[in-house]
Amino acid sequence: MGSGNYLLRKFAFALLTIFVVVIINFVLFRILPGDPVRAVIGRNVKISAEVQQSLREQFGLDKPVFPDQFLMTIRQWASGNLGVSWSLRRPVAEILISKLWNTLLLIGLGQILSIFFGVLLGLLAGWKRKTALDAGALTFSLIAWATPTFWLGIILLAAGSTWLGLPTGGILSPQNVGKPLHTVLPDLAVHLILPTLTLTILYLGEYMLIMRSSIVETLGEDYILTAKAKGLNQWQILWRHALKNAMLPIVTIIALNLGFTVSGAIYIETVFSYDGLGKLFQTALTKQDYPLLQGAFLLLAVSVILANMLADILYTILDPRVKAS
Amino acid sequence: MYRTLLFGLLVLVLLTACTTSQPSTTETAPSTSPQAPAQPSTSQEPVTLRVGWPGFPDTLNPAYAFLTESYTMFDYIYSTLATESQSGEYVGLLAESWDVSDDGLVWTFKLRPNVRWHNGEPLTAEQVVWNLNAFIQNPDGWVTNSGYVAGFVEARVVDETTIEIETEYPISNMAYRVSFLYIVYPPDFEGFATPAELQNFTNFNAIGSGPFKLASLDKDQRIIILETNGDYFDGHAKIDRVIYQTFDNSDAMIQALKVGDIDLIGEVPDSAFAAVSAFENVKAISLPGRSITELIINSAPADHDPKPNRNPALEDPQVRLAIATAIDKQDLVDVVLQGNGTPGVTIIPPTLGGGFWFNSDIQDVKFDLDEANRILEEAGYVKGSDGVRAKGNVRLEMRLQYASDQPNYPRTAGMIANWLAQIGIKATPESVDPDSLVVATNPNADYDLVIWGWGADPDPDFMLSVMTSSQYVEGGWSDSGYSNPEYDRLYLEQQKAIEPEERQKIVWKMQEMVFNDRPYIVLWYGNILQAYRSDHFTGFIESLLGIDSFQSLMNVEPVR
Repeated sequence: MGSGNYLLRKFAFALLTIFVVVIINFVLFRILPGDPVRAVIGRNVKISAEVQQSLREQFGLDKPVFPDQFLMTIRQWASGNLGVSWSLRRPVAEILISKLWNTLLLIGLGQILSIFFGVLLGLLAGWKRKTALDAGALTFSLIAWATPTFWLGIILLAAGSTWLGLPTGGILSPQNVGKPLHTVLPDLAVHLILPTLTLTILYLGEYMLIMRSSIVETLGEDYILTAKAKGLNQWQILWRHALKNAMLPIVTIIALNLGFTVSGAIYIETVFSYDGLGKLFQTALTKQDYPLLQGAFLLLAVSVILANMLADILYTILDPRVKAS
Repeated sequence: MYRTLLFGLLVLVLLTACTTSQPSTTETAPSTSPQAPAQPSTSQEPVTLRVGWPGFPDTLNPAYAFLTESYTMFDYIYSTLATESQSGEYVGLLAESWDVSDDGLVWTFKLRPNVRWHNGEPLTAEQVVWNLNAFIQNPDGWVTNSGYVAGFVEARVVDETTIEIETEYPISNMAYRVSFLYIVYPPDFEGFATPAELQNFTNFNAIGSGPFKLASLDKDQRIIILETNGDYFDGHAKIDRVIYQTFDNSDAMIQALKVGDIDLIGEVPDSAFAAVSAFENVKAISLPGRSITELIINSAPADHDPKPNRNPALEDPQVRLAIATAIDKQDLVDVVLQGNGTPGVTIIPPTLGGGFWFNSDIQDVKFDLDEANRILEEAGYVKGSDGVRAKGNVRLEMRLQYASDQPNYPRTAGMIANWLAQIGIKATPESVDPDSLVVATNPNADYDLVIWGWGADPDPDFMLSVMTSSQYVEGGWSDSGYSNPEYDRLYLEQQKAIEPEERQKIVWKMQEMVFNDRPYIVLWYGNILQAYRSDHFTGFIESLLGIDSFQSLMNVEPVR
């Protein structure tokens, strides 16, 4: 019963958070400087002042922000409709779904690889502390973590396309667009190599560093000494006693990062012309496309909050003390 | 440290690629498609020109299109009555010839016979007239066409190959106007009852009568494939397909050209042009275009609401003259544009109408810092101990803002601030996002100096309209706030001057007025910078329309 109550409380709190985020976003986008109509049309001189006025009416911008625009948005969302994007002229939900798939594929793959290699490297480095392996892994991770995303992406793109003939951008080759997925998988894989590699290198450092310090700390605990005294071998100590405890901070980071996965990786998507959510966020902001902005940030808020809930639940499984408190 | 890192990364890349991808180039990627054989050489393979560009059309519906990428596609897919030629004059496309009645109110267009839609049906005079009347009668729906049919009363069919357009008043730039009226396939457009319905229709399966047909468009992968229209009325292209692919990053796009993933780039950034010129098998092209970049001086009327917030010294014509005298435009072109442009003089670029509209009589102010100092001295601005001039309590201290989305503006602002400092004007450069800059200039009139630019229209009308006082309202295109009743009167007059020489005289006069009053100091006319793979294709037509114009692509052929 205690655990059920705990989850229920968490869930209610999550709902409240989403509601607050929605309201803050609604206000925040509208206090941005500039005129959304001008941002959407750019410097298209074919659109006169009168036409801009009629667009303003069509977008509902001629009405007061509160209560009219706010109620309109809430009413629309309540009926399950996220509205139509002003700049892309497509239903917001449809756009979000199509880009979500692209982003999950790229960022998800990059995250899995970097978690795997980062945790492994951190574990080895922490275990073999103060060896050449530790120093090497630490140096590599620090540099990888500090490398600017854009720079690394461009360097890999230049090298990969010049020497290995890897594609310079996009998700599929033009001649494969529109074909059934299973026939274009090899092409898709080739397009994913460089962005995934960039992403893996960039995230790997963070996981490695956290895992290393966590394992170092755990290995200094009294119960490890006890385990040693009991005569367990090194593998048993590492696997059964150290790893489980050392994983707690990593779980937090993974959960948080997975939540933000949905925000995409603006830089990587931009460098590799990969049409995902990160790039979409940027477009929505520069175009001041309120329906798209609101939809995108709702998706982001929901996924971050869900990921946090997931972390909380995992904690109750991994660490009995959480349940007790 | 970085070198070691770089080396390590390259080793990593090599390892990854060697283990995962043997068939690595995009063209030879394993595919069941008969269009992409692993071994080129068969004559069956379609000849494909691949173009990289930075955007994607928002729609293929000419009624309601915002982005320039949409207009690029319109030119390939649709036809118009007339079109701008490589020399800047207007030539017939759907129309063979045209003529205007003596009172200037009825235009007669003689249509070409035997024009067909992409679906094989004949294009009729009735359909052309249906289009024109739809634009005239429903300006709220056909938003982006409405400006071009202003003053049109009605279109009529005379016979199978002749139509008439009746206008309310004489229209001086008729050929230019109809060159933006893309004729669409009526059955696709007839069913819309309201403006909103028409505007929400993106027509991504467009049927037109242009030299290229839309084969496929994928808005999620952002790929457009065009096929040559074999039934086009004016010959047909020597290539089979054109593929447009979107790049979000110009460095990646340039790299794609370098390795041959694409064959053409329509917009090479200034900063990359020298590098692209040095690529093997790539020809880089720098041609005079239609864009202008200017220094805007806050010229909003004193009684403007809200009250202009600016350094009052800017109202003094001598201060404006001094600023103009202290700017070395040639140096800006050499340093900022690396030579890819020409120093600016008037608001009409020399390319419009093949030079017909550009007032070549205007002598630009000569760059001379001593002279600029003398002008200010004479006007009563005295240098203080900090080197900044002042007259009474008006110090020559001002903001120098620029749009943050243009990579060459910061350098420009730095150079101008430096020159101004030498004549005792302290100008502080500041980067501002374009959205805020729109509002600051119009309607707020809250700025001193702003660096910004225009991609001028082929007809002088638009650039001239930017300086009229009626555009200085919210949503209007004036940013300087220039207001001159005589200028406004001449603007309306040139719209109705059917005789080209008569219109030219007025247009020249208007340029002179703006030049002398200096709401704008035109800094330069920028070049169009483009590049293509010269080992793959040849025959591009180099003109102000760009090597990616439909006329140019119809002339392109593969290198054998």
